[in-house]
Amino acid sequence: MNRREVIKSVALMFGGTLSAPTLMAMNHWEQNSPIPTTSAAFSLTEQQRKIVAEVAEMIIPRTNTVGAKDVGVPAFIEMMLKDCYLQPDHQRFLEGLTSLEQLKFLELNEGERRGALKMMEQQTKEQMKVPSKTVPFWRLMKELTLLGYFTSEAGIKASFEYVQIPGKLENIKLKPNQKLYAY
Amino acid sequence: MNLNIKVTKENTFDAIVVGSGMTGGFAAKELTEKGMKVLMIERGKEIKHVQDYDTAMKQPWEIEHRGKTTLVSAEERWANSRFWGLGSEEVVNHLTNDKENPYIEKRPFDWIRAYHTGGKSMHWGRQSYRWNKQDFEANAKEGIGIDWPIRYEDLEPWYTHVEKFVGVSGQKEGLDVLPDGHFLPPMPLFAPEAYFKKVMFDKFNRPVTVGRVANLTQPQAIHTELGRASCQYRNKCARGCPYGGYYSSLSGAIPAAMRTKRLTVLHDSIVAEIIYDDQKKKAVGVRVINQHNHLVTDYFAKIIFLNAGSINTAALMLNSKSSRFPNGFGNDSDQVGRNLMDHQLGAGATASIEGFEDDYVYGQRPNALYIPRFRNWGNDKQTAYLRGFGYQGGASREGWNRGVAADGFGGDFKENLTKPGAWAISIGGFGEVLPDPNNRMYLDPDKKDKWGVPLIVFDAAFSDNDRAIRKDIIASAVEMLETAGFKNATPYDRPTHLGLGIHDMGTARMGRDPKTSVLNSFNQVHDSKNVFVTDGAAMASASCVNPSITYMALTARAVDHAVKSLKKREL
Ligand SMILES: Cc1cc2nc3c(=O)[nH]c(=O)nc-3n(C[C@H](O)[C@H](O)[C@H](O)COP(=O)(O)OP(=O)(O)OC[C@H]3O[C@@H](n4cnc5c(N)ncnc54)[C@H](O)[C@@H]3O)c2cc1C
Ligand code: SF4
Repeated sequence: MNRREVIKSVALMFGGTLSAPTLMAMNHWEQNSPIPTTSAAFSLTEQQRKIVAEVAEMIIPRTNTVGAKDVGVPAFIEMMLKDCYLQPDHQRFLEGLTSLEQLKFLELNEGERRGALKMMEQQTKEQMKVPSKTVPFWRLMKELTLLGYFTSEAGIKASFEYVQIPGKLENIKLKPNQKLYAY
Repeated sequence: MNLNIKVTKENTFDAIVVGSGMTGGFAAKELTEKGMKVLMIERGKEIKHVQDYDTAMKQPWEIEHRGKTTLVSAEERWANSRFWGLGSEEVVNHLTNDKENPYIEKRPFDWIRAYHTGGKSMHWGRQSYRWNKQDFEANAKEGIGIDWPIRYEDLEPWYTHVEKFVGVSGQKEGLDVLPDGHFLPPMPLFAPEAYFKKVMFDKFNRPVTVGRVANLTQPQAIHTELGRASCQYRNKCARGCPYGGYYSSLSGAIPAAMRTKRLTVLHDSIVAEIIYDDQKKKAVGVRVINQHNHLVTDYFAKIIFLNAGSINTAALMLNSKSSRFPNGFGNDSDQVGRNLMDHQLGAGATASIEGFEDDYVYGQRPNALYIPRFRNWGNDKQTAYLRGFGYQGGASREGWNRGVAADGFGGDFKENLTKPGAWAISIGGFGEVLPDPNNRMYLDPDKKDKWGVPLIVFDAAFSDNDRAIRKDIIASAVEMLETAGFKNATPYDRPTHLGLGIHDMGTARMGRDPKTSVLNSFNQVHDSKNVFVTDGAAMASASCVNPSITYMALTARAVDHAVKSLKKREL
């Protein structure tokens, strides 16, 4: 198990989700220097923005419920990258986008796009086996898409049984078609 | 320096309490309830119970970065964000800004701090376990550190006293290793956990119980009269609870002390020194620096309780030099700042669980399951290490985040993530750390903070015994999860340092001999008996259970002694 997975399991234990700056904070001692927060300003070109939006929508498409674009996931991803990730993560993300640009992703039809993402998914599995401080493009893209969607107001209400104040705690049996509870 | 040393009626009290956290709050409650006029001095800003829990009722989409730490927080809270989740916007502003309050790591130390009303009691995990008899006897039996000057029986009534007031939910188990307390009804174990409990008992004779936790499952009059209500099972306690469902100084002790009308609280006020009077041969007050205008004011009292948290209490003592105490207040033994202990955290194992597909849970349990220490206990003898560890953990059904690592995308993938996933379980150890005089913190001779107070330097690390315990925490966790028939049991071992357990203690230990200890059996500084240290600094060993309930019991016991002694004019 690599360091990242180790930390993931711990995050599971504490019910938290992993984030890059947590790793950086842990490395503070190793580096013995302050974390450079004023990392190079991050922004996407119009073309890259379109690709991010299309990929997010393919991960969480609009079905009988709202999709990634409907709830603002593309802008959320850009904001998160800028505010919560460091330059090496930015770079790896941009490399992923560049490879999609080279494939002329936006000009591909639906089936070809799906093929391209499937291929990327397979490559990511191999990449994840190599210990690294950064996350492959596909993995980060997917994490931020799911996070943005499943914590958005419309995403939560469409996907889960949202209970703000449970008021009690009990063991229950699943109902038919039971959704996850979100709190 | 602007000095304001007039002794006036306004700055003279029966008792001064330094710190408003878990132990300072309790000291103030006990002192005021016994008729004392108390001044509580808190270095951080004021937080008003309920009113100032600004994130408590926020919906998930109202937390801008959805629980992730931003780069700005990671820089400002460079130490606090080493702990899981403390960098999140849900809580981050209630933790100390490490950049403004720096410390020095000669060897790394993960110092988690909360400078505000209530201190870390606002953020604690609320796990509350009594020490057992052996915990108090082990040092003497094994020749480790120094003997405790008290035994379980001395503290027993005070545990009960504290548990009643705090409100601890738990299951009585009749175990010597984990003495039962005064409990509110327990929270439930979930279906796979109940199964796990049975297998662990059958196969290993190891008990498993639901966590003992300071959340009100059934509030009593002693709680409701302070405005506290039943826990609503949102598990968002770390943000502050608008119902007072969990115990903190803010929800419990401070309102109780306020009710007596004998409590005065000063905020934004750093206690920088204890004032020792050579003629009276005792401490007479404290010197306080205002955070904002740096104005210095002295306050006076007959008795002083130091409850600034183990490290800050020791720092305050070290910074208080007088002709009687040239090496720091109460530091004849040179033990102030030494024997710094904590618990090990961040090691254990996870597994996936097959079955129980029909079982689910309504509500969020702000609690865990608990596996009491089984090593070097009863017939178990380990050759690799002394003492032992307990586990906390729990089972839950996976949520949408299982999709991050899973293959797939698109409509079916999306639909599938709205359903409860498989059950998974995780258990993590809390390992006992032995006292070692070379594990210490001290004051930097040159570097000062912006208030002119010397910076704290940490020079401490885990020992061979600690590392051997950690190895077994991991191996035993895997073994137990596999024995239960769970799948893919996977160890984890996060690189950590002392401090991350947030159970820092030992820096002004109790003992029988003033030559080797700082405090006597009632937490009094040996040579200035009107000063009491009742936070974690007093601990002569660490046990492996979460410590706060023990700190509070020691505090209540010390207050009782202080007030009785005052009445007998012994102080
Ligand atoms: C995330 C988390 C989870 C935890 N979980 C548990 C758990 O499950 N069970 C458990 O038992 N414990 C737990 N703890 C630990 C628990 O919070 C501490 O043991 C407890 O708060 C210690 O009490 P204290 O009074 O010594 O210090 P604190 O509660 O930290 O209070 C100290 C106070 O003193 C103030 N202060 C410091 N220096 C000065 C000064 N010079 N002048 C004036 N004021 C000063 C501080 O601002 C602070 O308000 C947890 C802690 C955290 C952060
Ligand atoms: S779980 Fe209970 S105590 Fe914690 S915040 Fe919710 S209601 Fe309050």
